[in-house]
Amino acid sequence: MSANQLILKRTALGTTYLDLLDRSGFTLVDMNMIEPFYIDDKNHHPTSIVFERDSTMYAIRSDWTRTLLNFNNNYYSNETKFGYFGPVVREHESFYQAGVEIYKVGNQDIINTLLMHIQFVENSTEDTIKTFVINNDQLLDLFVYKYKLSENIRTLVYSKNISELRRVLGTDHDLYKIISAKVSEQYGMIQHLFGDTEIMQLIERVKDVIKSQNKEMKFILDLSFRSPQKYYNGLYFQAFLNANSPVLSGGQYNSSAFGIGLNLSDGGLL
Amino acid sequence: MITVALSKGRLFDDFIKYLEEKNLDKYSGVLKEKSRTLYTTSGNVRFIFAKGPDVPVYVERSVADIGIVGSDTLEEDAFSYLNVSELPFGQCHFALAGPPNIERFETIASKYINIARKFFNDEQQAVSLIHLNGSVELAPILGLADGIVDIVQTGSTLRDNGLIEYQKILDVQARLIANKQTFYTKEDDIYEFLSEIGVIE
Repeated sequence: MSANQLILKRTALGTTYLDLLDRSGFTLVDMNMIEPFYIDDKNHHPTSIVFERDSTMYAIRSDWTRTLLNFNNNYYSNETKFGYFGPVVREHESFYQAGVEIYKVGNQDIINTLLMHIQFVENSTEDTIKTFVINNDQLLDLFVYKYKLSENIRTLVYSKNISELRRVLGTDHDLYKIISAKVSEQYGMIQHLFGDTEIMQLIERVKDVIKSQNKEMKFILDLSFRSPQKYYNGLYFQAFLNANSPVLSGGQYNSSAFGIGLNLSDGGLL
Repeated sequence: MITVALSKGRLFDDFIKYLEEKNLDKYSGVLKEKSRTLYTTSGNVRFIFAKGPDVPVYVERSVADIGIVGSDTLEEDAFSYLNVSELPFGQCHFALAGPPNIERFETIASKYINIARKFFNDEQQAVSLIHLNGSVELAPILGLADGIVDIVQTGSTLRDNGLIEYQKILDVQARLIANKQTFYTKEDDIYEFLSEIGVIE
C-alpha cells in the first residue's frame, strides 16, 4: 500500500468510526494538543513530553483518556459518552488514536460498547477477532488474601516468572498451577476458585456475549496480563486479529469509567 | 511457526549442550551445523542468532516469540517482556574487581554501566563511572580506572591480568523470555516448545 493510500485509508476509517459513534449517542471531541499537566500524572503517563511556560507545566497530548479526564475535571458537562480520533505524541513518536471513554459506566454499557467495537473491526476488515485476552488486577488480590501470600508474589506473577514461582510456592500451589498452565486453561481454573465473585461474574458475562457472536474466538484470562497504561484498575483487555499488535484495547479506571482504544497504526486496522 | 532468538557465544554452546542432555536432537542437530546463516529452522521452530543485547529487543518488538539470553543483559537495560524462566546453564556473576590493595574505589570502568551505578548507589559510595564496550580489564592496568564491574565466570581472566575480586554483586544465568502478545496468539506452539525444553512440566 502506498503512503498516500495509507493516509487515505486511515482517514476514511477514522471518519467511518466517528460516524458510528455519532449515531450511537457519543459526544465527539477534538481538543488542543497542548494541555495543562500535573507532575503527579507523570507516574501514569511516563512517555508524555512535558514542558514549562510562564510558570505552568504543560504536556503534549499522549493519551486521549487523560485529555478527556482533564476536560471533565475542569468543565461541567452532563455528557458521559465521548468519542475521539486524533494524534497523540509519546516519547519522540506521534500516531493516531481513536476510541471512546464512558463515565458512570454500568456493566451493560461495557458489554454493549465492547460488542460495538468488535463488530466495527470485523465489518471493516472482513476478518474475525482471533484472540481476546482479559484480566482484572483485583483477581490477584483475591489470591493474595485467600492464600496469605507475600506482596512480592505480584511481581513474579506479572512477569510470569514460572521458575521463581515454582521455587516460592511449590508445584502443588493453586497459583503456580494456574500460571504454569496454558493461558487458555486459566479461565476455568480461576472460575473454579473465584467464580462467585463480582469480578469473575463480569468476565464471564463478557466471555458469554462475545463468544456468542464469534464461537471461534480464543478467550484468554491471564493473571500475568497487564496493560501498558497504568491507570486501569479494574477489568482490562486486548483483542487481536492476526497481527501481534492488538486491534482493540481498553478497560476500567477511576472506579466508574471505561475506555476502548482502536488501533489505526499503519493506515488500517491491524 | 515460532521464532526463538538465541544469544551467540558461550550461552549458545551451553544451550546446545542442554538440548543434547534432553535428547532434543532435532534442535541441537540443526544448531550445531556450521554455517554463516543467521537463522535456521527445525520443524515448527525458527532459531535466529543475535548478539545478547539484541535478543530482548527482538522479543519486545515481536520479531521473536521467545528469547534465550543471559540475565546480565536483562538487568542492564529495561525491556518489556515476560520473564518466564531461569535455565540451568550460563551461571556466572557480576563482581567488583581491581588490582590488589585498593582501599577505596574512585573510578570504575564497566560495560554494564547501569548495574554498576545501581550497585554503588545501593552502597552509598560516590564513584565516577566510565563505559567501555569490552576488555574492561585493561582499564585498571592502563590507569583509566582503579576498578571494574564485570562478569566473572571462573576468575581466570581476572587472575591473568593481575586483578582480584573484591565483592560479588549479582548472580547471572540464562533465562527464557517471551513476547507479551504472541504468548497469547501463538499459545499452542509456544507451550509445546516450553514443554519440550523442560521449562514447564
